[in-house]
Amino acid sequence: MAVNSALFRKTLREVFNLRRLAREQSRFKVVFIGCFAAGCEAGLGYLFFDGFRWLDRLGGFGGLLVGRLFALFFLGLGIMLVVSSMVTAYTTMFRSRETEFLMAQPVSINAIVVYKFVHTAALSSWAYFLVIIPFVLAYALYTQASVLFAVWTFLFSLPFLVLCAGIGCALAMIWLRWIPRGRWRGLFWLLVISGGLAAWLTTGRDGAGSGSEVRFAVSRLVPGMLLASHPLMPSYWMAQGIMSLCGTQWGRGLMFGGVLLSSALMIVICVEWFGSKVFHDSWLRIQMGPTRSPRRAPLFKGLDRWLGVMRCDIRALVLKDLRTFVRDPMQWSQALVFFGLLALYFANLRSLKYGLLTPMWRNLMVFLNVSSVASVVCSLGSRFIYPQLSLEGQEFWLLGLAPTTMRRIILTKFCLALSGLVPVSVALAVLSAVKLGTTPAAVAVSAALAFSVACAVCGLSTGLGAVFLDLRQRNPAAIVSGFGGTLNLVLSLVFMLAAILPFAAIFQGYTLDRFTQPEFRSALLGASLWLAGITAVSTVVPLRLGIRALQTREF
Amino acid sequence: MIAIEHLSKQFGDLVAVDDLCLEIPPGEIFCFLGPNGAGKTTTIKILVGLLRPSRGTARIGGFDIEKNPLEAKRLIGYIPDLPFVYERLTAQEFFEFIGDLYDIPRTALDNELERSFKFFGLWDYRHVLVKDLSHGLRQRLIYCATFLHAPRVLFVDEPLTGLDPYTIRLLKELLISKARAGMTVFLTTHILALAEDIADRTGIIMNGRLIALGTVAELRQQWGGRNLEDVFLRLTADPRLNIGSKRNK
Repeated sequence: MAVNSALFRKTLREVFNLRRLAREQSRFKVVFIGCFAAGCEAGLGYLFFDGFRWLDRLGGFGGLLVGRLFALFFLGLGIMLVVSSMVTAYTTMFRSRETEFLMAQPVSINAIVVYKFVHTAALSSWAYFLVIIPFVLAYALYTQASVLFAVWTFLFSLPFLVLCAGIGCALAMIWLRWIPRGRWRGLFWLLVISGGLAAWLTTGRDGAGSGSEVRFAVSRLVPGMLLASHPLMPSYWMAQGIMSLCGTQWGRGLMFGGVLLSSALMIVICVEWFGSKVFHDSWLRIQMGPTRSPRRAPLFKGLDRWLGVMRCDIRALVLKDLRTFVRDPMQWSQALVFFGLLALYFANLRSLKYGLLTPMWRNLMVFLNVSSVASVVCSLGSRFIYPQLSLEGQEFWLLGLAPTTMRRIILTKFCLALSGLVPVSVALAVLSAVKLGTTPAAVAVSAALAFSVACAVCGLSTGLGAVFLDLRQRNPAAIVSGFGGTLNLVLSLVFMLAAILPFAAIFQGYTLDRFTQPEFRSALLGASLWLAGITAVSTVVPLRLGIRALQTREF
Repeated sequence: MIAIEHLSKQFGDLVAVDDLCLEIPPGEIFCFLGPNGAGKTTTIKILVGLLRPSRGTARIGGFDIEKNPLEAKRLIGYIPDLPFVYERLTAQEFFEFIGDLYDIPRTALDNELERSFKFFGLWDYRHVLVKDLSHGLRQRLIYCATFLHAPRVLFVDEPLTGLDPYTIRLLKELLISKARAGMTVFLTTHILALAEDIADRTGIIMNGRLIALGTVAELRQQWGGRNLEDVFLRLTADPRLNIGSKRNK
């Protein structure tokens, strides 16, 4: 118990010291992040509020949906929390150097597991609260509910959070303890995917056939509704508990609250017990795993022959960067997840019947989709392209002494980033426009916008990365969160808006018959010139500044 | 104080520690030498309970590190080559946290804080965040916090990495005085002069096997050479590099 309280006192002190660290950050960064978060919250709140009003306008069916939307909302958040806790548990429990430190102290495994579990729950919950606050406020405004509604939601959220984080932590421990590694991993995943497909093919198609007609219709219209409203699901307890307490059905509300709380306490006990049995083994398995396996053949062994047309210094840089990228799962896995989710969504636009929307909505969807691709490009540029020069770190002298020029180094990094981002972003933008069945002009504009954003983001990130070079910092997150990193993200987002908004307005005006054909053409020409101009400036100027900064720098 | 019996550790096909047997009495400074990848750090990690041995046992102060880990860890102080510190705590907060972990009473902790911080030259830095301390100051803080619970066995992996001559002298004298007071010190290093300076006994490990054990004088007598460096190079000579054999001709 003394150890647990020592660990939590230490965490409190760390949280308290965050004030000191915040004072050391640039004011620009703090203000920008604050404004951005407030803007996001306000935007989300407005979207939720408008959604509730839209459902209300649908009549009886809409009202029925609003009642059940809570359960679906918490089911979605619950799944997000479980996945997020699994990922966070991997880093906080198994990859953290603190765990190794604690293992060498007289701290029991149970205490480490509980402490790390609380850390995991806290770290994975910020997004949960960021989403829940505008949703609850929008619903409270829409129903003109009392303040108590927010209080009950907050009180119910805590055990729900613990429950989901507990499931996530337990799944992470199971995964790391028993999922095969090495030569059996491929076979294992083949079996899992085959089993999943077989289960989906045999049971997934007639899942909503039972129950009342209304339930059936609702479940057909909104996927997951049946599952979310199942009486054994925590999402159902949350929704029913909050609704009952707001409707002053105290007994029913407290019963659901009690079920949720007891389940959360139960999961804490289970995680502690389970952790005491498997955590040490799982941790040892991670520590002894990949670092001990000898590397096989060099990556891209044959690629240097293919790159033979390049100058030898450029070829060396390209190969080094490619190998580093492939061996850093943090980089490619995030890119894969972001772009993979977008590709999945765009590929299913027809299944979601978005192709049947009116031209105005389809037009809006095209530009929203281009914006989502551009946002991902901005975040990847900010997170991975911007710090790549700084991450050369203490070894930068290798490049400085090499018979090459800083100009070639920067341009090589720019071209390599561009060759990675352009094909994916342009393909996604075109896929979205084609699936929505828009005009060829809209398809071409989508592709041009994606290309321009990729160009500008690569130019800005590479150039500013050289201007604000920080060779002492080894932590990419710290490099990104500095003044230069924040400026890069702000400029990338400003470029994105400056590029997309004019085209979106012109197409929207044309769809709503506010422009004639010739007016539309000349507006499109003007916007294209604007796009070419800002793309050239945003790409070339930072690169020139970066080259000049590196050429005049002393290492 | 440290009793190692037939200790082995395998990572897949790689044998990192191979049938290691060793007894280290209280108050001895034992220096563990070996080339990179010989198994020094793996041995230390097994002895402090971070790794489980594939075979054999290790006892600290009579407690089996596998069967009674908490009792054994109460006797241990461990300083790895790259020690972990909480960067968002101040030096004093970090020290107090370690005191809390070992359940040291508050008054004793406050007394020890002043005495220890003044001894290590940390008193003026007690309210500075650990992330803002230089490498040398951090290292002093680690030693300061490790000695807080008066461990009976100290494991140190590469103790002098990146330290200035003043701190090196401070640490060497400290380790010797602690050993004379009864603490067992088990350290690994590549600085052979350090072993010659402070070690009571030295062990040389190569490919996981203990290939030599004794005082520096005994090792020189047994294997020849002017100093420990000659002995070390002769025993661990890498035929591909042709260093040890050439020097010892």
